[in-house]
Amino acid sequence: MFKDILFGTSASPAGDYAARVAFELAGRFDAHLRLVHVLGVPSRGFSYLAEDVRTGEQVVIDDDYKAWVEEEIKTYYAKQLEKCNDYSIHVCVGHPHREILREARNSNPDLIVLGGPTEENEGSAYKKIVAGSTIQLVSKSALCPVLLVSRPAASFWGGISSVVFGADFSKASDAAFKFAKKVAASIPGCELHIFHAMDIGPVHTGLSLSQEEIEDKIREARKKIRHKYVANLEGFEKYSMEVWEGLPYVEIVKFAREKQADLIVMAYSTKDVDAENARLGSNMEQVIMRSTCPVISVNRKMAKN
Amino acid sequence: MYEFVTGPLAWLTFIVFFLGVVYRIVWYFRGLHWQMDRVAYNAHLKYGIKGAIRSIFLWLVPFGSVGWRSKPFMTILFFVFHIGLVVTPIFLQAHNILLRERWGFSLWTISDATADTLTILMIVAALFLVLRRIAYPEIRILTTAYDYLLLAISVAPFITGFIAAHHYSNYEFWLILHIICGEIMLVAIPFTKLSHSVLFFCSRAQLGMDFGIKRGGMKGTKFSW
Amino acid sequence: MPEGTLCNKQTVDTKEYLNALLADKSGKQYYSEMEKLDVDTDKLWKSIKSTLRSRLRTWLEICAHCGMCADACFLYLANDRDPTQVPSYKIQSTLGEIVKRKGKVNNEFMRMVMDTAWSKCTCCCRCGSFCPFGIDMGIMFGYLRGLCFSQGFVPWELKIGSGMHRVYKAQMDVTVEDWVDTCEWMAEEYEDDWPGLAIPVDKENADIMYTVNAREPKHYPEDIAEAAILFHMAGENWTVPSKGWEETSLAMFAGDWGACKMQVEEVYGAMHRLKPKRMVVTECGHAYRATVIEGPYWAGLKDGRPPVESIHYVEWVAEALRTGKIKIDPAKKIKEPVTYQDSCNYIRNAGLKNVAREIMSYIAEDFREMTPNREHNFCCGGGGGFNGMGRYREQRNVGLKVKLDQILDTGAKLVISPCHNCWDAIRDMEEVYHAGIRWSFLKPLLIKMAIPPDHLKVEE
Repeated sequence: MFKDILFGTSASPAGDYAARVAFELAGRFDAHLRLVHVLGVPSRGFSYLAEDVRTGEQVVIDDDYKAWVEEEIKTYYAKQLEKCNDYSIHVCVGHPHREILREARNSNPDLIVLGGPTEENEGSAYKKIVAGSTIQLVSKSALCPVLLVSRPAASFWGGISSVVFGADFSKASDAAFKFAKKVAASIPGCELHIFHAMDIGPVHTGLSLSQEEIEDKIREARKKIRHKYVANLEGFEKYSMEVWEGLPYVEIVKFAREKQADLIVMAYSTKDVDAENARLGSNMEQVIMRSTCPVISVNRKMAKN
Repeated sequence: MYEFVTGPLAWLTFIVFFLGVVYRIVWYFRGLHWQMDRVAYNAHLKYGIKGAIRSIFLWLVPFGSVGWRSKPFMTILFFVFHIGLVVTPIFLQAHNILLRERWGFSLWTISDATADTLTILMIVAALFLVLRRIAYPEIRILTTAYDYLLLAISVAPFITGFIAAHHYSNYEFWLILHIICGEIMLVAIPFTKLSHSVLFFCSRAQLGMDFGIKRGGMKGTKFSW
Repeated sequence: MPEGTLCNKQTVDTKEYLNALLADKSGKQYYSEMEKLDVDTDKLWKSIKSTLRSRLRTWLEICAHCGMCADACFLYLANDRDPTQVPSYKIQSTLGEIVKRKGKVNNEFMRMVMDTAWSKCTCCCRCGSFCPFGIDMGIMFGYLRGLCFSQGFVPWELKIGSGMHRVYKAQMDVTVEDWVDTCEWMAEEYEDDWPGLAIPVDKENADIMYTVNAREPKHYPEDIAEAAILFHMAGENWTVPSKGWEETSLAMFAGDWGACKMQVEEVYGAMHRLKPKRMVVTECGHAYRATVIEGPYWAGLKDGRPPVESIHYVEWVAEALRTGKIKIDPAKKIKEPVTYQDSCNYIRNAGLKNVAREIMSYIAEDFREMTPNREHNFCCGGGGGFNGMGRYREQRNVGLKVKLDQILDTGAKLVISPCHNCWDAIRDMEEVYHAGIRWSFLKPLLIKMAIPPDHLKVEE
């Protein structure tokens, strides 16, 4: 399933949960694990100074410093690395999303693992160069699925026996479906739950739909699911489908809990990454922050592959 | 003595002054270099001349430039001082009478009362220029004895002339002293910083050409001096 | 004659030398070698005699010491009116003194001169417009930097910067391959959002040849993608050169005229090779000044113009908005108060003040001018290389205060800054002073505001 996993690490507690999942996945699939650490953001015009994301200090980045940071990473993950027999460490300088994407472009991994939105990601070290958080920007542009782990609860991972696919009928959603099906099909006994959350908007505004309208829409959505996804299951049988109405990210998290999901697969389909809402932005990020299992984001680019 | 200072010495003064000033101007413009100065003077002469004229004109008019408007006190001192310095000697009746006697022509003249007023104002302005140099730290740090000497050279002919014209004491002494002071000033012009009386035009013209050609003029932008 | 292995009078022409400099953390060894570096007084005086011509000599000589330049200098204002920050004093006590002593100055003096030339002047040339004689001290400091460079007295980062230009023909270690690959990458990354998006490399006879700042491919290639999106939206026939794509010139900040010439000739070479109708420079001030305004003189082009007509990005934007090549959605105009940072290098020193206003009239509903503005604006506080030099960090941070106050006085929290240096300075300003301001280039804002033509609309 996964032969090459890229893990964007901060080598700090903020990324511990993601790290646990990354190492666990690499072990399970015998994959090469690429630890990519973006150690600092270049600042001060053309100077050779950068702010170290871990220490917050202004440092001169050169090969010595990079080597030192690499050692630090090895020490930080000493326990996990002991058990990991195929890994490499890449230390670089730049804006995290860009450097992770750059590394991904060079090494062409089949999964990227990132920590979820944390305060550290938005802190002073990462003065925004472009709107949006690292996970938004990586999810938007990566050529492979991006696995996101935020809550500690999401990292205690036994195995995969239940996959929830959050459908939104977009082009990216088609790709996400394909990926979800592939994961479920590759694991014996794994279930796939196709789920769509219908956004009924903010209830308190008084503009909410009538129950008849809601039910009509639910029927319509079920039809779409059957047509778009179920029809393409190609003989895969352990599936279910469900459409709920409400606040999408809340409904998905609720549904995943009910199905005891080990993985949520969603489409990343926001075109514009909005600066103002970057922190608590998309549906996706809300799900990541709330879910008790890892979330995999699949974007439109993968629809082509 | 009077014959000497207004005769051979005056001639000598005028020659030195004139040749000196011409030399300065020629030296200045010959020294301009399109590549060293990074201004394509010859390639875009028309833009250059336009820029030069604006640059000179706006700084020649009281409060004509943003710079002048930003420092009104200094601007008033500057113009009172320089108008007195230039207008008084050239249009003074006594000087023009002398001119007619010697060379058979004369210029417009101003009344003696006007001349007195201009002179007094100019001397007062000079006084304030001195005070300014002492009072403000940012000017004090720039000021050298040379600056005071030049100010003295510039003001001396006016003080001595004023005393002579009003016959306060020994007329002949003050008159001769006045003439010598005037001659010192004229001779000093090409050799000292007073050369700015012509180099002001040269330097302003150069920067005007710079902006008129390279720094916006050819984009159709007029620099707001 | 003691010359250091790192700090010396040599130019940086090899990768080995460049790497040795880079390996010297913060230039520790470099600056300690500088303390023992000999001044070649004969060479210094010889070079002054041949290059200090009537314009500069006159400027040095006729300065009336009137002090009108004092208030023109943002560093004078930022440093509580310290008299030693008066422009006239700064140049008289350095270049003036060297000339007076016929070049016979010692090491200590030269280090003082270096500190003055790079930490007390950003070559913004504002003082020149307030001097009754038109004495442009910014120009003189530029000249002085050249003298310092030739004697080896140049800040560490700029020695490296000029070396980068010599070795890589770019201010950073971005090779032709890196650059071309980045262009491909960006086109791939964004083509889903913008059908047909491409970054054509080395296309001949295009209408526009676009050139950038090396920091874009190196650290934020989004900027290149954004440029591509806007050209694509406007339907431009454009290209980027594979060689000669770098517009900036740290060599100009360093006073390394040889490297300046090499760098611009690289760009002009691309013009001759690709024969575009026009060149557009990215949102960078000093890059435009270096390649379009000063460059032709370094390259010896007698009419003072680059081989093909060259315009700044703001000129292209104004044109695209004026002619409707790019249409702004009126509902998406900037509603909040917004101000514009006039970059000295293309506003005061290249006359693009009205272009900037024209753009703002199309995109902002509440545009607030800073005071002073246009050609009388203050330097952002990071110009002339000031942003990037560790040795002068503190002085730079003090210098930022003037611009910060100007911004805050407008009441706007958003500053549009189509200049890399200003952009950096304002970013650092926020980091140092926490004023709660935001800053942006034009490109991302325009993409958000523009109405994409029908054929570029993507269904989600």
